[in-house]
Amino acid sequence: MSEKGEVDLTGAKQNTGVWLVKVPKYLSQQWAKATGRGEVGKLRISENLNDDASSQVSFTLNEELTVIEGIEDKTVSAPREHPFTMQSVGGQMLAVFTETSSDKIALEGVVVQRAECRPAVSESYMRLKRLQIEESSKPARLSQQLEKAVTSNYKPVANHAYNLEYERKKKEEGKRARADKQQVLDMLFSAFEKHQYYNIKDLVDITKQPVSYLKEILRDIGIYNVKGTHKNTWELKPEYRHYQGEEKTDE
Amino acid sequence: MNCLYWSCECDIGSYLHSWFLILLLFLCLSHRNTSKKYNIMAFNAGDRVSCSTWTQARMERDMSARRIYGEEETQEGAAGSEFGKKHREEARRKKFGIVTREFKVEDQPWILKVNGKTGKRFKGLKKGGVTENASYYIFTQCPDGAFEAFPVHGWYNFTPLAKHRTLTAEEAEEEWGRRNKVVNHFSIMLQRRFREQERGEDEEDETEKSGKKKKKGGSGRGGDLRIHDLDDDLEMSSDDSDSSGGEDGDSKAKVKKDTGKGKGKKKKKKSNESEALEDSDDGDYEGLEVDYMSDESSSEEEPEKGKPSKGEDLPKGIDEASESEEESEEEKQNDEEAKEEEEEEEGKKTPVQMEKKKKKANFFWWEWFCVNVCSVFLFVLNKSPLSLPHSQKKRTPPKWGGGRGSAGSSRTGSRPGTPSIDSASTSNTLRAAANKLEQGKRQTQGPSTDSPAAKRLKMEPSSQSPVPSGKSTPQPPSGKSTPSSSDVQLTEEAVRRYLIRKPMTTKDLLKKFQTKRTGLSSEQTVNVLAQILKRLNPERKNVNDKMHFYLTE
Repeated sequence: MSEKGEVDLTGAKQNTGVWLVKVPKYLSQQWAKATGRGEVGKLRISENLNDDASSQVSFTLNEELTVIEGIEDKTVSAPREHPFTMQSVGGQMLAVFTETSSDKIALEGVVVQRAECRPAVSESYMRLKRLQIEESSKPARLSQQLEKAVTSNYKPVANHAYNLEYERKKKEEGKRARADKQQVLDMLFSAFEKHQYYNIKDLVDITKQPVSYLKEILRDIGIYNVKGTHKNTWELKPEYRHYQGEEKTDE
Repeated sequence: MNCLYWSCECDIGSYLHSWFLILLLFLCLSHRNTSKKYNIMAFNAGDRVSCSTWTQARMERDMSARRIYGEEETQEGAAGSEFGKKHREEARRKKFGIVTREFKVEDQPWILKVNGKTGKRFKGLKKGGVTENASYYIFTQCPDGAFEAFPVHGWYNFTPLAKHRTLTAEEAEEEWGRRNKVVNHFSIMLQRRFREQERGEDEEDETEKSGKKKKKGGSGRGGDLRIHDLDDDLEMSSDDSDSSGGEDGDSKAKVKKDTGKGKGKKKKKKSNESEALEDSDDGDYEGLEVDYMSDESSSEEEPEKGKPSKGEDLPKGIDEASESEEESEEEKQNDEEAKEEEEEEEGKKTPVQMEKKKKKANFFWWEWFCVNVCSVFLFVLNKSPLSLPHSQKKRTPPKWGGGRGSAGSSRTGSRPGTPSIDSASTSNTLRAAANKLEQGKRQTQGPSTDSPAAKRLKMEPSSQSPVPSGKSTPQPPSGKSTPSSSDVQLTEEAVRRYLIRKPMTTKDLLKKFQTKRTGLSSEQTVNVLAQILKRLNPERKNVNDKMHFYLTE
């Protein structure tokens, strides 16, 4: 597909200029709460026409977004005024690209101005910061002393759940009956079609035969790997195998 | 939609002749288009990347890391698989606390290809920690003047990828070790290329030389070897008809041409540039004498260390003491020849490190010579007539025509104790003297080879215990050990020799023919010895209340 991975370079061609602004965490959280059209505030840009350097940009947060709810129902109000500090991009070339959920990539533009959004220092800001510090200073894990010992987990004589399981197992299976040899062989062959190596326990599970009987049958048709990567496993003898990668014949 | 306020104020009072433009714009957060994620593509200032030059670009995630994660999924299906293997592997991993990190597509690097196959390539690695404490927003201005702010989802640092062939880590380490010796850097990549071609690899990249080759651009040599640098244009520098013009030409054809031209180029380089080193193969530097040879000096430490230890083991027993003294003297001789000292006990490392080939040739000669010299000295000092047998005996073993010392040397070829160069001057006189003496001795001692042999034999078993054979010590122990294995046979001749030389008790005789050396058990030894004694019927005398046997010949 030539479409996949193709980058839409319209933004680069148009040389769209964008700003890269660093915004404090709380502000971005408040912005996330914006409703409706997503209007969050007013951006005030005052440019000094004679002197480019002394432009001032400031952002005023909308009234409704200033409420911050902290833990334990402490509400603080965020500051409203945020002056921006303008910075140059430096030699670095920063481009902006977007990726949609359908994996389409487009180049939106190039960063022409970097800025940092700072809150204007005020009482409300201080309170907000204090709240943040309190929240973050709480340890994630807590050691608590208990007044009463926990008595909900008794030490069982025998594991009750396990006991039940055990009894059930005994009742249901009892001694495994030796089925017809041919049947067992069929079961084994079908099992070995799925996997090459089997543990004896797994085979017992699958065939529900007693171990000794099963071992006898296996000795007939299979071999026991003692060493190697698949140790202590049973596999069919070469003449019985017919796996994809091998050229042996079937039984 | 968004309204735009803007008012123009000029307050002449405070800002005299300046005009202020105040714009009040609404900042809008992008709640629409939430499916679009904004990312930053950062380039290094030094790379001087300009988006405007890009005509076409492709970008994809680099999924090569998935192989590493997915490696556990080997074979599904019947052959080679085990029942329940996955569960077992998982349980095992949990038991050992191995936590495998998930393969997250989001965190994988980007591969950006600009301007098609021949253009630049970049790799963009995700920068971590961007969204942790502060958020970045992209402010764009809408056509109606309002600003839109989009949160930055990720930051990727893009770096250009080298298109020319580079050395792998192992190769780079190798070349680093040779950096002082290799002058012709071009040949490094050339060699690598030849190596690859021999392996029959297909070369996609036709630009193999490093950037240093740039200066060779136009001249005929640059021919069809395309020089690439990232900033260079990809046009062929020469108008050589051989080189197929297109940049995406047949790589195979070019490869063949390259080899041909490359070899020719190499020769040209040889003649034109007259570089010091052409083939930087591993073996080429061995014969060179350079100021600093770290490798060789260390390897020669070991045999030297063996020697001193051997020398110290020697003195044992009364009979053996004299022999050992001779041995140590011989050792000394060997080493001292270099330093012209006679008092040293230990074998010291000779200061001169010769080339191995020269060393070997001289070594054999030197051993032989030393042996002779020793015999001369010992004879002069009148210590015992054992010195001569040494020299003679050393020639008898069939190991090497050069003498016994060679046996030792063949085993420990790197013995550096042959300072042939230093002592060459002094050796001449000694050699002459030794030769004369040797010849004289040999003639006179022709009939009496038995006795020296006997004495030799006597020394051998004695030397065996202190000096095990086969070690990297100088001739005496090594030489003695080689023939000793055959001479320690419990024969009548051997017994006779011993008894002629000096009266011995049965116990002494037994000591001479140790079971370890003769290969016989102690019982057998006793029996055989008894038989031999019966045959020989030696004379008896009592010394110190012990019955000694002796023979007079």
